[in-house]
Amino acid sequence: MLAAFEWHILWQRIFHPDHVFVLALWRTIYISVAAQVFGVLLGLIAALMRMSKIWPLRVLSGLYVLVFRGTPVIVQIFFVYFGANLLFGFNLIPRTANFGLFQLDGAAFAGIVALSINEGAYMREIIRAGIDAIDRGQMEAARSLGMHYRLAMRRIVLPQAARVIVPPLGNEFNNMLKTSSLIFFIGVTELFGDAEIRYSTTFKPVEYFTAVAFWYLVLTTIWSVIQAQIERKLSVSERGEEPSFRERVFQAWAPVAAWGRGAR
Amino acid sequence: MSSNGFVMSAHEVRKRFGRLEVLKGVSLEVKRGEVVCVIGPSGSGKTTFIRCIHHLEKIDGGRIEVNGHLIGYREQNGKLIEDSERSIARQRAEIGMVFQRFNLFPHKTALENVIEAPVQVRGVPKRQAIQQAEELLRRVGLADKRDVYPGKLSGGQQQRVAIARALAMRPALMLFDEPTSALDPEVIGEVLDVMKELALEGMTMIVVTHEMGFAREAADRVVMMDDGRIIEEGTPEHFFREPREERTKQFLSKILV
Repeated sequence: MLAAFEWHILWQRIFHPDHVFVLALWRTIYISVAAQVFGVLLGLIAALMRMSKIWPLRVLSGLYVLVFRGTPVIVQIFFVYFGANLLFGFNLIPRTANFGLFQLDGAAFAGIVALSINEGAYMREIIRAGIDAIDRGQMEAARSLGMHYRLAMRRIVLPQAARVIVPPLGNEFNNMLKTSSLIFFIGVTELFGDAEIRYSTTFKPVEYFTAVAFWYLVLTTIWSVIQAQIERKLSVSERGEEPSFRERVFQAWAPVAAWGRGAR
Repeated sequence: MSSNGFVMSAHEVRKRFGRLEVLKGVSLEVKRGEVVCVIGPSGSGKTTFIRCIHHLEKIDGGRIEVNGHLIGYREQNGKLIEDSERSIARQRAEIGMVFQRFNLFPHKTALENVIEAPVQVRGVPKRQAIQQAEELLRRVGLADKRDVYPGKLSGGQQQRVAIARALAMRPALMLFDEPTSALDPEVIGEVLDVMKELALEGMTMIVVTHEMGFAREAADRVVMMDDGRIIEEGTPEHFFREPREERTKQFLSKILV
């Protein structure tokens, strides 16, 4: 039994999004960005810990990756949000987190915390690979000029590693935009959550999920353009010509173009 | 200036990599303004030796002093204990090092490479550092390349920037680790010219090299290493006319074609 596809719903969701929807879209964006930023910071700290002379730090870093890469994100999200309450009887995450300038819903805050910690484990591996990719001679040259380890790391090694790190980092953020939908399950109404709620009141799943898929696609496409921009900035000294904005948009759609060519 | 009159003095330096003993007691003293060339077959320990002077390698025995200061270690109750990272860094700042593979910072222009350490390590005001760097780049003949990234420079040009970068710290001693071995033959000359000029200006230098032409023109002394030891020492003329050791004769016959 194929119910008729109601195009007007899709049309309305795409071209006339309402206030509630825009708020959900905004939640997906700020939660993903915040989780990615803190994930990168955690990953950097863990990567530096891994190279430490102090062995407990190295072990800690290893355990961190083992646990958080080895268990499902959804489980981690539940643990962060409900874990402390169920295990120890207190709320780790407040109802509303107050940051002075702005307030954050407790569930959204828990979501950011859990996604950051999970992301940090992946970022540690990416940052580690980036640092390893830099020739050892760079560190030696920096130190031969009298720079101590941290200064050499900050001024010489990390800026070069950044070029290696950015492409996989872009992938990670692309994933993050979509993975953030999991925090709907602790009650955050973000993009996916909004679609879920609409569908449960209208029984039009196909229309609402198609619309939400479209919006995820918009987010990831915008991101791939931004990413290309960052990569271009970072490698300015190596490449001569730079692609125009139009070319970058086309590059983001390259898989579609490739598929088109294949079909012909 | 140190109390004993030497810029660098190494005494019975020993170094092992696992079970392989690379330096089996190397002693060498270098006076202010002296240019010493270290020659020897590969695996003889010459590169390891100058890396030890910069404490890029720890030593397993003996002692190295630069300007009268023990390098990499401090003495406590007659024992040598490795120094803190920061004080080793401070010592390294006094010693310039030029690497075989240049090791310029690829994300920085020629000028930025040269000002990096003076600004970041010594806290020299940027404008002053830039002035000094421009002067140094002029000295190595690369004033026009100041805003060029290393990737766009030839090997010879990169090595000359690397020399300028080391000189920017106004070192008391310059170490050169086979500075021309990674270069195309046609650009070796331009690097050696810069080094000769430096020698004429009175810089104290220890140069690991196979360029006997350079040794003849610029070196006060040549040191021949083999199997982790210094086996012969003398003026460049001595090595050209009457090398004493059989091993030295063999080696020279191979590199002086």
